[in-house]
Amino acid sequence: MKLDLEGIDQSKRDFRKQLAARPIADKLRMLDALRERTLTIKRAPKNSPAKSRPDLRH
Amino acid sequence: MGIRKVIEMINGMQADGVIERYAIGGAVGATFYLEPVATLDVDVFVEFHTEPGSRIVSPEPIFKYLRDRGCPMEGAYIVIADWPVQFLPAGSGLLQEALAAAVEKDVGGTPARVFTPEHIAAVALETGRAKDKARVLQFVEAGGLDLERLQEILARHGLSSDWEQFERQFLKQR
Repeated sequence: MKLDLEGIDQSKRDFRKQLAARPIADKLRMLDALRERTLTIKRAPKNSPAKSRPDLRH
Repeated sequence: MGIRKVIEMINGMQADGVIERYAIGGAVGATFYLEPVATLDVDVFVEFHTEPGSRIVSPEPIFKYLRDRGCPMEGAYIVIADWPVQFLPAGSGLLQEALAAAVEKDVGGTPARVFTPEHIAAVALETGRAKDKARVLQFVEAGGLDLERLQEILARHGLSSDWEQFERQFLKQR
């Protein structure tokens, strides 16, 4: 399988442009959601699943 | 919506004469022009009221106003609608200019004063952390800067060499 890296890069840039062009009220709502998500990740237990679940260790 | 409530509260504070003028900068300010990027706090630059004859500026009236409205303090932040907000004095020439040049944006019927993209980029360049440089790059990649205007701002505030270094580091090999 051959990856079209340029195509992937272009689609990412297009997606960012679309997001930037959204109404500001939408973008601020996204910031609220992004912050919630970041805090959820920060609050998650430090132990990785591999540490807390020996069955997942190699 | 959290940030919108923050903006409404700050507008109220301005209407009640607690602050003279304000502008949102940092990542939240950048979101007015770019795609949203996760951030944990809101930077609000303000011109503090000073007592006649006094040169001391104090954020206490801001904190009192917000505390009276149920906003708790968390270290250097005051929490409005779940968002930690930092009120920063426009202490440098660059920040004073950014505050004076800030533009009003409409957030679904709520006015918000925001730094221009060029001033957000200039402040980020001056601050100079990795995430600030990433923000400048984000603006450049999005074509969101009037580069001539940015150069003028940078020259006025002695930041031209910071820009040259940024260009060498991030833009020259493109």
